[in-house]
Amino acid sequence: MELSRLPAYLAGRLVKAAIVILAIVVCNFFLIHAAPGDPASIIAGQSGSADARFLEQLRAQFGLDQPLYVQLWMYLKGVLTLDLGFSHRQQASVAALVWDRLPATLLLTGAAFIFAIVLGVTMGALAARRVGTWWDSIITVLALAFYATPLFWVGLMLVLLFSVTLEWLPSFGMMSVGVEMSGIGKVLDVGKHLLLPALTLGLFYVAVYARLSRATMLEVADQDFVKTARAKGVPEGRILRRHILRNAMLPVITFAGIQAGQLIGGSILVETVFAWPGIGRLAFEALLARDYQVLMGVFFCTSVMVVLFNLITDLLYAVVDPRVEVS
Amino acid sequence: MKTFWRNFARNRGAVVGLVILVLVLIVALTAPWIFPGSPWDMAGAPFAPPGEDGMLLGTDSLGRDVAAGIAHGARVSLLVGAVSTVVSLVIGIGLGAIAGYLGGWVDDVVMRFTEFFQTIPSFVLAILLVAIFTPTIQSIVFAIAVVSWPPVARVVRAEFLSLRSREFVQASEVLGKSRISIVLGDILPNALSPIVVLSSLMVASAILLESALSFLGLGDPNMMSWGFLIGSGRSVIRMAWWMSVFPGIAIFLTVLSLNLVGEGLSDALNPRLPRNRGGKP
Amino acid sequence: MTTLSRRGLMAAAATLPVLWRVEDAIAQGVQPKRGGTLTTIVNPEPPVLHIGVNNQAPTLIVGGKMFQGLLRYDAQLKPLPELAKSWEVSADGLEYTFHLQENVKFHDGKPMTSEDVVFSIMKFHMEVSPRARGVFARIKEGVAVNPTTAKFVLSEPFEPFLLMFDVTVSAIVPKHLFEGQDFRQAPAVARPVGTGPFKFAEWQRGNFIKLERFDEYWKPGQPYLDAIIYRVVPDSQSRRLALESGQVILTQSNDIEPFDVPQMRARPNLEVKTTGWEYMGPLMWVEFNHRVKPLDDVRVRRALTMAVNRDFIAQRLWFGIGKPATGPFNSSTRFYDASAKAPGFDVNAAKALLDEAGLKPNAQGVRFTIKHMSLPYGEVFTRLGEFLRQAFRQVGVDLQLESVDVGTWSQRTANWDFDTTINYLYQYGDPTLGVERSYVSTNIKKILFSNVSGYANPQVDELFAKGRDAADPKVRQEAFSAVQKILVSDVPLLWLMEMSFPTIYDKKLNNVITTGAGVHASFDDVFLA
Repeated sequence: MELSRLPAYLAGRLVKAAIVILAIVVCNFFLIHAAPGDPASIIAGQSGSADARFLEQLRAQFGLDQPLYVQLWMYLKGVLTLDLGFSHRQQASVAALVWDRLPATLLLTGAAFIFAIVLGVTMGALAARRVGTWWDSIITVLALAFYATPLFWVGLMLVLLFSVTLEWLPSFGMMSVGVEMSGIGKVLDVGKHLLLPALTLGLFYVAVYARLSRATMLEVADQDFVKTARAKGVPEGRILRRHILRNAMLPVITFAGIQAGQLIGGSILVETVFAWPGIGRLAFEALLARDYQVLMGVFFCTSVMVVLFNLITDLLYAVVDPRVEVS
Repeated sequence: MKTFWRNFARNRGAVVGLVILVLVLIVALTAPWIFPGSPWDMAGAPFAPPGEDGMLLGTDSLGRDVAAGIAHGARVSLLVGAVSTVVSLVIGIGLGAIAGYLGGWVDDVVMRFTEFFQTIPSFVLAILLVAIFTPTIQSIVFAIAVVSWPPVARVVRAEFLSLRSREFVQASEVLGKSRISIVLGDILPNALSPIVVLSSLMVASAILLESALSFLGLGDPNMMSWGFLIGSGRSVIRMAWWMSVFPGIAIFLTVLSLNLVGEGLSDALNPRLPRNRGGKP
Repeated sequence: MTTLSRRGLMAAAATLPVLWRVEDAIAQGVQPKRGGTLTTIVNPEPPVLHIGVNNQAPTLIVGGKMFQGLLRYDAQLKPLPELAKSWEVSADGLEYTFHLQENVKFHDGKPMTSEDVVFSIMKFHMEVSPRARGVFARIKEGVAVNPTTAKFVLSEPFEPFLLMFDVTVSAIVPKHLFEGQDFRQAPAVARPVGTGPFKFAEWQRGNFIKLERFDEYWKPGQPYLDAIIYRVVPDSQSRRLALESGQVILTQSNDIEPFDVPQMRARPNLEVKTTGWEYMGPLMWVEFNHRVKPLDDVRVRRALTMAVNRDFIAQRLWFGIGKPATGPFNSSTRFYDASAKAPGFDVNAAKALLDEAGLKPNAQGVRFTIKHMSLPYGEVFTRLGEFLRQAFRQVGVDLQLESVDVGTWSQRTANWDFDTTINYLYQYGDPTLGVERSYVSTNIKKILFSNVSGYANPQVDELFAKGRDAADPKVRQEAFSAVQKILVSDVPLLWLMEMSFPTIYDKKLNNVITTGAGVHASFDDVFLA
């Protein structure tokens, strides 16, 4: 790609991304408001008693007495100025709530992602290198097994083994609470808590990346430039690294971009099983409590992340692979 | 057909998968005879371990037979998997065909729409949909279908894009065939093999998705599915491991077999390609 | 049954030393010890921590450590001093005078005076809490007589008035932080300031809430603990694990599922108690929607009541955490009449009654089909729905389960959009405070916790009114006995169980449950041995 065309391309992509995000915001707004029940009735319900005045007060305070289009307009206006609204249920601004919980989810999904990519690609490369041997079979079977096991079930089993039986790792939470710790100790502590959830979330994607990279590597290995390199007597290890792996990474990268959003979805389950204080659980609890603003805030935040991630992977793709045209 | 079978059978995994799948289907079909009566009936003492009390796989917290639950659950889980796959195939093939065949701005709009669905985390969307429409078997199937069609649309579009310019299609166009008959009669049959492979994997992920929804308490309370069994066993896992382990194995085997069969199909339908293309979320 | 006599109350107030519980502990040979952190669980995570602004159980449990009421109550619902060291009631039952403890400070260092008390009762809770409003609307005037004396004058006598001063109902809040502001949005809601033994320190949402010892607490030498940490753990098995592994040393309320309790009992280091819910007195029932045929037929309701084995529910589903209900009153609620009993378990009689009502089974053995909306409050309620379905099936009634989330449940229950569902309500120790609302026709409203079943019986209305307005406990007893007899024959609801919740704690923790409100208490006397 010519670098001179990059700014125009980027601008076009950003505009498109903004439209997608806006569409998501509007769509979410209507979906969420279509759910039966509203935050006022839930707060009233959970406070153990209610009267008509109380409900009216709450609805007026939350702006629920306004027509839906007014509520949508207010919300859109807010989003355009990056004001995600206020959660009356939790008496806190949505941005602050999401911001508080985002690092935990990024840490979890990031760790799971790196774990999945590294282990998955290694397994895939290994299997492709020794295609047809028992190595290949074992890796293929393992990947299939990871793929076919329900995520939450793996989590439960890991807890049973490592927390209950062996007592090696903590079963829930993100850090020890009430213990004073130094910098290194704190990092180690979080690391210990992170291990099981990241493993649980990552296993499925290990399978996905293992299969994907094995397949693409086999495909690339068949192509002319590899055959040429081989004919020229380039050492096998070098061919693998310089030619095959690099090219085989492209579909993996694309796929990872698409998967970014799915990781967040999976993190709801994992965050529930491991009491991980991330936005997946924030979203799920907000849904159950009809805390509209928070739910929409999480959606907004994840869509922005996914769109950005897609953009980055596309750029990466375009830069790495000269065959891809930027249009 | 013969070559198809030969190619399929060359993949030993696929044969194993097919055998497992057929066994699961047999269990599902014969459940009412093997385990007559409702799987919800309290058949024995609560929390009886496997083998005790005449219960092969033990009983649950209300004394219901886990084995009966798994057999009857196979019907529900497979049904959810199959129906939601059919629904999302209809959506995905429809949109993909339109985009791929017409191209131009239509393609652009449809692909934006598809991207849009891929941007929203699918599991979160599924939860939202089931919560809005309250958990019933219909709303669960609908939600799974809504979140699983985009890959189909992409695959179909790609196939259509490449097939559209082939000679036989152009020949049909010259002959004045209607667009619909070209799409259905000429292009679609030639695009079928990746769709077939994809759909076996989609059934598998639909079963997983249903179980995840059930796990979060968003299953149909009148349908005993495998997800329901795990979900209800999860909180007593320390006391009655059998309640979640056996349904877990049932899901595992079924999803595994569907994947193996999918790979076998891929081999058989696309003998040129190296085995195991993967790439299915 | 207990009766509050005014003389008894005053005697109790006069004779109870402030530190009686600690002295009890000392008498048992356990010396209170300063120091240590109590790590426990809060579930679900409360949306806000300020009592009154939110009245869900988690908020009340955590808030109960930071705030205090004028009174507390023992397991027999007898009032005990808290922020009020003594109190008097005038002979006509209209004037209530509270004498406050001295040297009580709020966490911001400002002294607590009768001004704060009058403000809390007359303004704060009147505004934010619908339940308190219902009763406090009877107060004609509230006067701060002097800094340590507050007086409330009622417009008419209200015998259960003294039950309204627990921290969970009317916590004393600082006037200077709320006056002139929107009470629900004042900064003090996000950083609660009370008079309790523990003050707010930190809240990492989704993770933990930390409360710290308030050094200027009014009881000398107390509290004993340095801090209380409430961890947020959404999964019930993780909670159980945390308790077993000692990561937390106290669980309460719904933290531990009933089916896990037997194993907790078996652990030598843990104590399991189901007391400490007498003040709330929760009663669980199947809500019948009387607008849906054939649930309007008393014979059908009686038959369905007889189809359910309530012992099974208490023993097999709740593992003995709770007692089978006998009627509309929790047995810990005042004026409970043991002689009024709802029909017992009898499948054949139930079938006969349904035949008599003209509901004959069809070829599939089904007489009629109704829907049941499960209560979305956890695993055990799902099992309860499944159990009821099998129980009703036995008498030929087909129950179709609907699973809903909390949002849908609240909305549909409030809008009468259900056939049957499960509900449980606190009775707050007195029929006027917590029972009447579910049965009187004046409370048939499209609001949760009103009479959503639509049951109407003029006699019942009349008797509840009589019990409410009578100043004499004897008159009230007569009215409430009569109403219980009518209710058990009308069976407007299918009463299932007197609920309780397990409080499980490490044995090194002392004085956890000392009142009728159990874990909602201030914990100023709790210590680690």
